[in-house]
Amino acid sequence: MFLAFKELKYSKAKFALIIAVVILISYLVFFLTSLANGLASSYTNAIKKWESDQVILTVDSNDSMMMSYMNQEHFDSVETNGIKAKLALFPAVINNPSSDNVLDSRVDVYFLGIEDDSFIKPSELRDLKLQGNQVIVDEELKKEGYKIGDIFGITGSKDQYEIIGFSSKTTYQTAPVIFMSLDTWQKYRYGTANTPDLFSAIIIKGESKDMSLDLISYTTDEYISTLPGYNAQVLTFSVMIVFLIIITAFVLGIFIYVLTIQKTSMFGVMKAQGISNWYIGGSVIIQTFLLIIIGLVIGLFFTILTGIFLSNVIPFAINILFYIIITLSFILFSFFGGLFSVKAVLKIDPLKAIGG
Amino acid sequence: MKPLIEMKNVTKDFLQGDNIINALKKTNFVAYEGELIGIIGPSGSGKSTFLTILGGLQKPTTGEVLLKDQPFSDLNIKEKSKIRLENIGFILQSSNLIPFLTIKEQMVLYNKITNSEVNQKCMDELFLKLDVEKFKNKYPNELSGGERQRSAIAKALYHQPSVIFADEPTASLDTKRAFEVVKLLAKETKDQKKATIMVTHDERMLEFCNKVYEIVDGVISEITNK
Repeated sequence: MFLAFKELKYSKAKFALIIAVVILISYLVFFLTSLANGLASSYTNAIKKWESDQVILTVDSNDSMMMSYMNQEHFDSVETNGIKAKLALFPAVINNPSSDNVLDSRVDVYFLGIEDDSFIKPSELRDLKLQGNQVIVDEELKKEGYKIGDIFGITGSKDQYEIIGFSSKTTYQTAPVIFMSLDTWQKYRYGTANTPDLFSAIIIKGESKDMSLDLISYTTDEYISTLPGYNAQVLTFSVMIVFLIIITAFVLGIFIYVLTIQKTSMFGVMKAQGISNWYIGGSVIIQTFLLIIIGLVIGLFFTILTGIFLSNVIPFAINILFYIIITLSFILFSFFGGLFSVKAVLKIDPLKAIGG
Repeated sequence: MKPLIEMKNVTKDFLQGDNIINALKKTNFVAYEGELIGIIGPSGSGKSTFLTILGGLQKPTTGEVLLKDQPFSDLNIKEKSKIRLENIGFILQSSNLIPFLTIKEQMVLYNKITNSEVNQKCMDELFLKLDVEKFKNKYPNELSGGERQRSAIAKALYHQPSVIFADEPTASLDTKRAFEVVKLLAKETKDQKKATIMVTHDERMLEFCNKVYEIVDGVISEITNK
């Protein structure tokens, strides 16, 4: 420790540069992780909030909930040891009729039809009754200036809806979800004349035992991975993050290696004096750890700072577990990078230092 | 007088291509406590081989080295390192100081490595004797050649080794400083009952030595009329 600390203190500028590189890369990695996590969450928040185990669609829908049409018979055919709920989903574009520029006030949303006593209904809003055109909307719409009691319209129709409550963390494929009664949803979807009693999916908490042959069940996680673009996006981010961690380990490993090689004669003298490989190699590893940890802490600090300022603009979600995993990976990989230098230390021949 | 370090029937052969080179022919050598021994010889004569075998940095081909009557050359690398750390002090031409430690920290490093208490009394005495006190908080590159060499001697003596190896300790010094340094070394050796083995090119320094050996082509012989 003594040797490692003293050298860091003496060669401040040199090590500051290395730390700066670690800060930049770790900032990028933490930032990407938060962004990836934020994007993934805004894709799936609404689904996660159901706390369901299974999602049932029609076979014909080909994984697309919007293309799945089912009726009461389908619902009755599903046997489960838990509870089941009807769910109807369709995209919509809403606008603010009292806005100066109605066109500019358009927002993409998903209309989600449920029965009022359904477990899918956000638990914190259980007391609010979904009926008629009274709806619960995701709090993202607060950013558009909506308040409780406000009215919004939809494009292509004269229908208007009243906001009776805001739910949190209920976005689906990054768009805010609007909860409404199944009847209201069906009127929106199929029109007021001869409205068919159709919905999109059955959500199960528990396990399904038997169901009609033209239905197919997914676990909730399976269903999430069928969302268009979800897997591609998660994979892209993961590959970037993993590679950045490995690159950092290499960069740091090479820096430390070059510094070690520069100190060959000094280490040789130390070995001649009887200072063990263990002590010299140990201080190289300690230095590696110090550099990576200082860099990571500062990088993380900047990430969190960025999160505070930007979380309203971009989907940015802090996830402590991911941060811990990434931090540990950084440290682990850098340790391997540092081992190259330890190997170099072991190979130094004290004889050469003495001038043999 | 007690022998501190001893070479018994040591030879050293190197294989260079297909040829065997006898870097050191059969050598017997002993350094008693209180002795400052000078080693001279042209470059390539086997001086370094002699010194490195004595210091346990390489193994003799035949024969053995005894340190304080204990077998030394036959131990494994780890044990030899440990013994070097405790019993041998090095003063090297290229300075054995670590660039990023102050002179005081150079001494403290020994305590850190061996998990021992800082010997403040010994340090203060050495600093006073070697006139190091006033720059003890400076880094080696802030010092002149003479100051560095004095610091290096302080470092070699701090942990109170029984044997000191000095390789050209006066190489970077002017005559006045060189004499001072060697005188100091001779005095320390005598007072502390150490054995100091000094390799030098500078024949003016030999008057301070108790014995002088010359190595030529791997053969060591004592010069009596120095």
